[in-house]
Amino acid sequence: MMILFALLGALVIASAIGVVALRHPIHSALCLVLNLVGVAALYAMLDAHFLSAVQIIVYAGAIMVLVLFVIMLLNIKVEQPHRRGIILTLLATLAGVCFLGILAPLFYRGLRGFTDHSSKIEGTVEAFGELLFTRYLFPFEAASVLIMVAIVGAVMIGKRHQQGGSK
Amino acid sequence: MEILVYAVMLFVLFNVIMGIASINTWVERKGSALIQDRIGANRAGRYLDSDLLVLKPVLPVIRFLGILGVINTLLCDAVKALFKEDFVPQGVSKFLHALGPFMAVFPVFLAFAIIPLAPEFVLFGEVIRPQLAPLNAGVLFFLAMGSMAVYGVAIAGWAGNNKYSLLGGLRAAAQMISYELAMGLAFVAVIVCYGTLDLYEMVNRQEGVWGVVYQPITFIILFIVGMAETKRGPFDLPEAESELTAGYFTEYSGMKFLLFWLGEFAEIGLFSFLLVLLFFGGWHLPFVDLPEHAWWAALIGHAILMGKVLFFCVLQIVLRWTLPRFRFDQLMKLGWKYLLPLSMINLLVYGALKAGGWLTV
Repeated sequence: MMILFALLGALVIASAIGVVALRHPIHSALCLVLNLVGVAALYAMLDAHFLSAVQIIVYAGAIMVLVLFVIMLLNIKVEQPHRRGIILTLLATLAGVCFLGILAPLFYRGLRGFTDHSSKIEGTVEAFGELLFTRYLFPFEAASVLIMVAIVGAVMIGKRHQQGGSK
Repeated sequence: MEILVYAVMLFVLFNVIMGIASINTWVERKGSALIQDRIGANRAGRYLDSDLLVLKPVLPVIRFLGILGVINTLLCDAVKALFKEDFVPQGVSKFLHALGPFMAVFPVFLAFAIIPLAPEFVLFGEVIRPQLAPLNAGVLFFLAMGSMAVYGVAIAGWAGNNKYSLLGGLRAAAQMISYELAMGLAFVAVIVCYGTLDLYEMVNRQEGVWGVVYQPITFIILFIVGMAETKRGPFDLPEAESELTAGYFTEYSGMKFLLFWLGEFAEIGLFSFLLVLLFFGGWHLPFVDLPEHAWWAALIGHAILMGKVLFFCVLQIVLRWTLPRFRFDQLMKLGWKYLLPLSMINLLVYGALKAGGWLTV
């Protein structure tokens, strides 16, 4: 179990590095897919099968659209390396370190969950649904309203564009 | 012991997939010939003659298979594909070019893991459920694999470095993403109806009445969407040969080319399995009561299931060779303007029925 976790973890981290390090947009997007599928596999290792399946359907599946955008809208060329300013580099490094600092305690607690099976997460669909509709009802409903607003907004913008555009 | 059971199950499942894919290949070749009033493949093996004593008794069988075209479609084509030059066009990423066909086949095979092949049976005092992955998430796993299958064709289309390939890949991706929405909503309606995500449980709920009786609309939606997701039938625009040469696999040859076909034919089998398990009672037949937990009953159940699956495979192939191809705007219209609202209303109706307590399965 520990070996599998180590392998998956290595895969996830390597593909995450690949997303930012690779020069070609398509390769980066595919690395992102690999990363999200790896995270789904980690969920499956925690017996959260529902979350794992949803992770692949929602996240890994949606990256496809990103890939399509890369193919259709961008010039299919290798990105040229360009120099960034020193201040920007410093700021980015600082932000990264701060983010890592926030994540570190979570990471420590999460690692214990993998080795300590007494604190197993209840990941069945039933348990997940019950949590979603009792304890997390408000965030769940708020998120659905937000998504609904985004859908309506997209339709409105698309419609206006059509009217103003070619006739 | 457990590992042995799983190994045997894996072996059986792999053979089921390959068997269905082979039968589909043969039905496609010979069936399309029948439909188009041609003779079709009937040469290879027909005139086979040998003085070998071992071959003598089976010679008539081989000749008969040759006339039927089985040897031509299953043996000769596979061997031919294996020995063909593996052509890689210039200026493409070799890795992505190889990844394309692999990604087209891999999710389909993986999705078969949730398919139960027969009713439970007792062997050596142990209850064995012939389902490789009895996941709690059940059919959601199938949806997940469906969304991964898009990558295969899109990568293949892009890695061809050819305008026809690219157009085919884009068409395939647009088509699959569009129809995935209706498919997901139809699946939710099925889940609401049965109140479970496990395919095995769903089959058990249909012991008296088949699911198609009280969810006919869901069945029709899933059947249409299934044909669109396999990129076949009237929905084969991604490989429309009159416009795009061969679509997303234009730049593939040999075994890589054959892998796309393997994935496609296996996917036909996968969707037939799903339709049968969700709507046509799986291994149940009306007026036939199989005893529980007997190994021979499991075998009969498996035979019944496979019979139904083959019926739907053949039905899909016959439809593919009968109906003319859609135009792309018609395809998008059907997906977004008809199937998606229909599946939404369908889901609402079943939700209301379930909440009102009128639907007890």
